[in-house]
Amino acid sequence: MLEVCELTGPLLQIRGVRKVYPLSSGVFRKSAGSITAVDGVTLDIYPNETLGLVGESGCGKTTLSKLVLALEEPSDGCILFDDVDVGHAKGDSLEKLRKGVQVVFQDPFGSLNPRRRVRSIIEEPMIIHREGTKAQRMERVHELLRMVGLHEDMLNRYPHEFSGGQRQRICIARALAVHPKLLICDEPVSALDVSIQAQVINLLVDLQKELELSYLFISHNLSVVGYISHRIAVMYKGRIVELAGSDSLFEGPLHPYTKCLMAAVPEPKPGQSRRFKYVRRNDIPAAGSQSACACSTWCPDAAGECGRETPGLREARPGHFVACHLAD
Amino acid sequence: MNHKDVEKKNKGDTRSEGREYLLEIQDLHTYFHTPEGTVKALNGVDLVLKRGHTLSIVGESGCGKTVLAMTILRLIPQPPGRIERGRILFEGTDLLSLDDEGIRAIRGNKISMIFQEPMTSLNPVFTIGSQIEEVIALHQPEAASTRKQARETAVEMLDMVGIPFAEKRIDDYPHQLSGGMRQRVMIAMALACKPSLMIADEPTTALDVTTQAQILSLMADLKEETGTSIILVTHDLGVVAQSCEEVAVMYTGNVVEYAGVEDIFALPLHPYTKGLMRSVPTIDARQKGESLHAIPGNVPMLKDMPGGCTFHNRCEEVMEICRKEFPPVFVLHSGHCVRCWRYAN
Repeated sequence: MLEVCELTGPLLQIRGVRKVYPLSSGVFRKSAGSITAVDGVTLDIYPNETLGLVGESGCGKTTLSKLVLALEEPSDGCILFDDVDVGHAKGDSLEKLRKGVQVVFQDPFGSLNPRRRVRSIIEEPMIIHREGTKAQRMERVHELLRMVGLHEDMLNRYPHEFSGGQRQRICIARALAVHPKLLICDEPVSALDVSIQAQVINLLVDLQKELELSYLFISHNLSVVGYISHRIAVMYKGRIVELAGSDSLFEGPLHPYTKCLMAAVPEPKPGQSRRFKYVRRNDIPAAGSQSACACSTWCPDAAGECGRETPGLREARPGHFVACHLAD
Repeated sequence: MNHKDVEKKNKGDTRSEGREYLLEIQDLHTYFHTPEGTVKALNGVDLVLKRGHTLSIVGESGCGKTVLAMTILRLIPQPPGRIERGRILFEGTDLLSLDDEGIRAIRGNKISMIFQEPMTSLNPVFTIGSQIEEVIALHQPEAASTRKQARETAVEMLDMVGIPFAEKRIDDYPHQLSGGMRQRVMIAMALACKPSLMIADEPTTALDVTTQAQILSLMADLKEETGTSIILVTHDLGVVAQSCEEVAVMYTGNVVEYAGVEDIFALPLHPYTKGLMRSVPTIDARQKGESLHAIPGNVPMLKDMPGGCTFHNRCEEVMEICRKEFPPVFVLHSGHCVRCWRYAN
């Protein structure tokens, strides 16, 4: 399916994006260094594709999604969505962007206004983007509700009357209201129970087929990401360290951090190993050079060059990119 | 109907085997009396835990897992909560018959608890050292006759749970530690008095998978060293498979299935357990292009429970009797217990 996608060109292009947050301290807010949350990320998302983004908390996943949503401005590099420069979009082009990229958040309890009815929650994006007449909008609300598998009786209810899974469906309906092309799903199922999680994942997969959507699917749950994504990007300390098709990544992870992540996922099969496998990681930054590979402090195979130079992404196998000096 | 007999037989078994069990819970009912009606959070729970074993309690939100943990420690807010009836035999003593003084001597000392949120269960204005010392001073005054001695024990505990530079980190405040480190401090506190039972309520849910692996392997090591039994409340079936000997699956305030971990993964009996197992996403399923198996519907609100078996309206194997009568526990081969009419014969 990727070959087909490449013919049409990517929907979203992220090119060498960096985001640096300045730190300040003291009474006079004196600048005290900076944190690089996203450090030179280059990624493409193709039409009708799900790109999974995995990594531990604090690795920059959410900052990257904020950059794509134009909620933060990149310090360096550029992001192109449908030929709109996301970082510097204003006026009409910003509006086009906001319509084209929508988001579903992690917490379905915090992301719905408790004082508004479902009807007006789903209608709101269409009002903001001045779409249709009142009657047309209401018709669309009914359609969206059916699409996400909720009953039309529920239109006049308030969010507190719904369970977590149903609320996440309302969030999805709201995100789809203005016909976006890209949906950013930031941990959409991690607040849900296992059986409900499966319902929402199935819904997302079906909607993608029906509406030809692209997803940027952010999660720390490898099995969920592996199930839903066509390609997976693994992020560590602000950088993409591995990028590959799901099958290729699960069959043969190349980067030591990816291996470490996969080993840590407990298999739902008892008696296989009976022990958790993990690499004890020493995350204390080394006093050495700034340009060292972020993994060089704990990687069991770290060699001389790892301490000197940050590895860039390179194609180790066809379609399988890795940022490691030693991977073959 | 012979289900009464089965239940009686089941109970009789657990009693006759006696000492082998550290904890025996019999017919436990905890209700919450709210203005909108009575919520039956625990509705007849029977469970046993062997010495040195780990028991996982699995279920979705609202199934009563946490209420069960709280009931064992008698931490249910009363009112509105009330432990209506049942027995909790811990080392032969019925915890429900103890007065406040009596339960306080057990809580934190013989039975300790680790909560889900390592952020909120530590006091932000005290150093981690003083919080661990407090536990030791409260329960084991002989081990902490001087402050220096208590501090030494605290350093030892931090060392044991794998916190590097324990003598230095002991003077840190909780906000100076990462999530995984805080959870280690919680475990150090829970183990400070060498309890015979540790209850861990979703101890790794708020943590990253690599940190989760470290915490769970730490708990497994400590279990081997100290012989502590563990009740592990979780909803992650992967964690269950890797870390326990017995599994209890809970649904709407009842244990619907109880078995050894290998039995239950090899041959889940209750339709709810089967559904849970099949809804875990796997890479194989994607490669085959299968859609995930989801249990239809939602967990019913505890306030308005369906009649008959509480799972019948989501069940794929529902029978006529399920809609009318609440199923008893059926004990099958090798002590595999299931609360489902399918196994009546």
